[in-house]
Amino acid sequence: MNKQKVRENKERAARAAEAAQAAETAQAMETAQTAEMSGVKPRIVKALLRKGREERRSMFKAGQFDFFGFLLRLLLAAAIVALFVIFFGRFVGVYIDVKTDGKTNLVARATELFTILYSAVILGMVIGGVGQLGRELFSADDMKIFSAMPINARTLFIAKLLSVYKAQFTIAVVAVMTVNATFAWKVGVTAAFWVISAAMCFLLPLITIGIAAVIVPLFQAVKRFLRERYVLLFIVITALLGVGIWLYSILLGGVKELLLGNSLEDFFNEQVMNAIASVCSYLYPARWLAGIIAGSDPIWGWVGLAAVAIVGITLSILIIRRILVRALQARNQSSSPALFRNSFITVRKKKFVALLKREFLLIFRTPSYMFSYFSVAFIMPLMVYFCMDVGASLIDKLVGIDCKLELALFLTILFGALTNIFCATNISRDGEMFYAVKAMPINFKTVFFSKIALCLIVTAISQVASAVMLFASGMTGLANALFICVIGLLFSFATIAVATRYDFNHAKFSTEDDGEIKESSGTVSMVIVVGMLLSFVVGGVVLLLNILFQLRGMALGYLTYIISGGLVLIVAGLALFYLLFRLKKKYYEFSGGGI
Amino acid sequence: MKYCTYCGAALDDKAVVCPRCFCATNTRPIYQKGSVRGALYCGPQFAAPVVNIPQPLQQIPYTQTPYTQTAYAQSPYGADRFGKEVVKVQGLYKRYSKKADWAVTDVSFTCREGEIVGLLGHNGAGKSTTLKCLEGMLPYERGEIKIAGYDIRKQPEAAKAQMGFVTDNHATFIKMTGVQYLNFMADVYEVPSGERMKRLKELDAIFQLGKPISNLISSYSHGMRQKICMMGSLIHRPKLWILDEPMTGLDPRTMRAVQDFMHRYVAEGNAIIFSSHALNTVAKLCDRVVLIRRGRQVNELDVKSIYASNPNFDFEEYFLRNEQAESEGK
Repeated sequence: MNKQKVRENKERAARAAEAAQAAETAQAMETAQTAEMSGVKPRIVKALLRKGREERRSMFKAGQFDFFGFLLRLLLAAAIVALFVIFFGRFVGVYIDVKTDGKTNLVARATELFTILYSAVILGMVIGGVGQLGRELFSADDMKIFSAMPINARTLFIAKLLSVYKAQFTIAVVAVMTVNATFAWKVGVTAAFWVISAAMCFLLPLITIGIAAVIVPLFQAVKRFLRERYVLLFIVITALLGVGIWLYSILLGGVKELLLGNSLEDFFNEQVMNAIASVCSYLYPARWLAGIIAGSDPIWGWVGLAAVAIVGITLSILIIRRILVRALQARNQSSSPALFRNSFITVRKKKFVALLKREFLLIFRTPSYMFSYFSVAFIMPLMVYFCMDVGASLIDKLVGIDCKLELALFLTILFGALTNIFCATNISRDGEMFYAVKAMPINFKTVFFSKIALCLIVTAISQVASAVMLFASGMTGLANALFICVIGLLFSFATIAVATRYDFNHAKFSTEDDGEIKESSGTVSMVIVVGMLLSFVVGGVVLLLNILFQLRGMALGYLTYIISGGLVLIVAGLALFYLLFRLKKKYYEFSGGGI
Repeated sequence: MKYCTYCGAALDDKAVVCPRCFCATNTRPIYQKGSVRGALYCGPQFAAPVVNIPQPLQQIPYTQTPYTQTAYAQSPYGADRFGKEVVKVQGLYKRYSKKADWAVTDVSFTCREGEIVGLLGHNGAGKSTTLKCLEGMLPYERGEIKIAGYDIRKQPEAAKAQMGFVTDNHATFIKMTGVQYLNFMADVYEVPSGERMKRLKELDAIFQLGKPISNLISSYSHGMRQKICMMGSLIHRPKLWILDEPMTGLDPRTMRAVQDFMHRYVAEGNAIIFSSHALNTVAKLCDRVVLIRRGRQVNELDVKSIYASNPNFDFEEYFLRNEQAESEGK
């Protein structure tokens, strides 16, 4: 009874707090309505920021909070940071000892290191900033409401800018502090280093928001142009991703050369060091930041940085103010050109095919889904090929054994699993239409297998292309390429089945206007972890066994086929069982989704 | 002199049933001649002079008057009007979680061929939940739901094939064009290829979606989404048409066309169940009304009989008084 009373009291207090907050917000709005409309209203800005804060906090509320998913995401992020710290730490140790003109130069090396890393951070933050500004100004649902409220553009602009600044500041703290702390771990630093690092975290977002503000109108114009030109959009997105992978392959090639060379010190010879110094001398504004933190050129660094920050913030204010009203109107206006044939196709399709087509259209006509799945699946063979090229030579060089088949198996399975992470939204992305389909005379197996079939078709194209590429490049024979393809498909089926069922059990439908899932969920994190673990179990086991066997002078031979085939069959069987276990009952009793 | 609210025919002061359309709602207040509402509710002869009427209102197709003698003559049930039981809901109980209160408690009603049944209640009364259970969208704890003799739990596909539904939020596949959506619905409900074009034309004549039917649904307005939802739910000519708040978001012209269509549709031997807060709509459309309050079925009224016995019966007044009486604990 006491507990109940306490709970009731808590609920009452929460309701009272909510009511007070609502009254405060309403009062703030009222004040704005009656006051002069031209100036910035700090109370409204505060109310808007609080609204954003409350919305973010709502994900932690009981019943809504996915603790497991949150923990997984946290662990994944921590793992990435830890990996970076380990590798970068080691690299710093080697790099600061590199000699130019016969002697070491800590300040010069630190300046080069920081210039390159800060450039990468700035690039990442600018890309993120373009996305955040686009989301806040053009896509945020609240803009629709604000456009009808007595909130003047300047107030709205300041609130939006502050919320973007907050997000950028968080990224800056994580990125800059990770880089600087790793450097400080390897090289002793003074207290001033930390003070400058903190100042940098505040300054950096001003620069990146300024650059992002210049890019965002252009980006939005391109986005608008491509909005309903789906085929063109697919080509553009895939081509961009392809270019990214190609650049990544160049980097991987560099790493390969680096590792295959005699030593790191030999790699950083006079010629390479000159090239690095030359490139770094052009990388502004990162160069200024590096000059300040490394102490190589602090005065010019501060001057340059201050100038860029002022220009950045002025530019962002000017540009965002200019596009704000247009963005508001664009949000409310939804026009669609009649790009489609005005005819009624009379060919009757089976329910399964109709659902398959619907699923395809949903993904193909949602740019973020198209990118996450179709483009990634299309590019996957390239990723396998590049990693295979580097990995096979590395193992051959470092361990002195040939394990192309096992490595190809491992990579195909791993990238297959990563491609199919998208399937973790197979149910959630339907949104409330999942209920509508449930009310149609469609068997539950048809509903689930139509989704799985589409994913399998996409993954099959990807796996076959990957196998063809491996065979054509001479990395594997025809029989092995076929074997890799079959194993890859079976494993992909397992990933898709597990992802689909897990998503069904933990469905979280989007509440956005367009029904699009814009935030990663715990299901996605879970599927990433399970997919990677399973790929290491199935692919990694044969790779390790082969290396161990060959090191002991034995050959794994047919055991590769037996072990990987057996393991993948077990995994696929278990996945199918997990998918179908009490599925019928669960489907007809489904009332989840969170809406 | 009185005028029939449906067909606008002149009536004798003592008349209870309209001799032209057999409508029993002719005792509803007659709107003033020349007003827009007059034109809408009482027929074209009540329309205001041309200069005062907005263009679309002049074009209301009044030839589709409900309850016309022709429609009755076509009805397979003749004077009785109602045929076999299409829907049977018996002792329905539903709650959203074990800890939650009952959303629906002991709701029972039927709907027969040729009948329009309205679920009436305030916001959160349990109308939509009842309809969602009926559609098979939501599971329920206790009770029985049969659609055209098929149990929605035991034979879900057969039961669902008998119905078409329109949800309260007009959920559709927004990444499809209108045509693609209708094709999808036709595929799911196994509409023969040769029939599709004919049915599309029929539905387009009622809902008048026009050219935007080839555009993406994501570009549709609220009302247009409502229309495409209705079109999709009717493409297979279901035995039972379930509508959750069907008139919300529709323009007066389409609202009128939908109401007319509903009467014609049941006259063909089909059944309609819909939920609404709009008492006028319910009174005008329904044969029977199931009143739901806080998840409980509080009454079941035969609208036509009520009007026949009490021509001055005010539905709105009844509903509000009942509500007040309950809140006062009477």
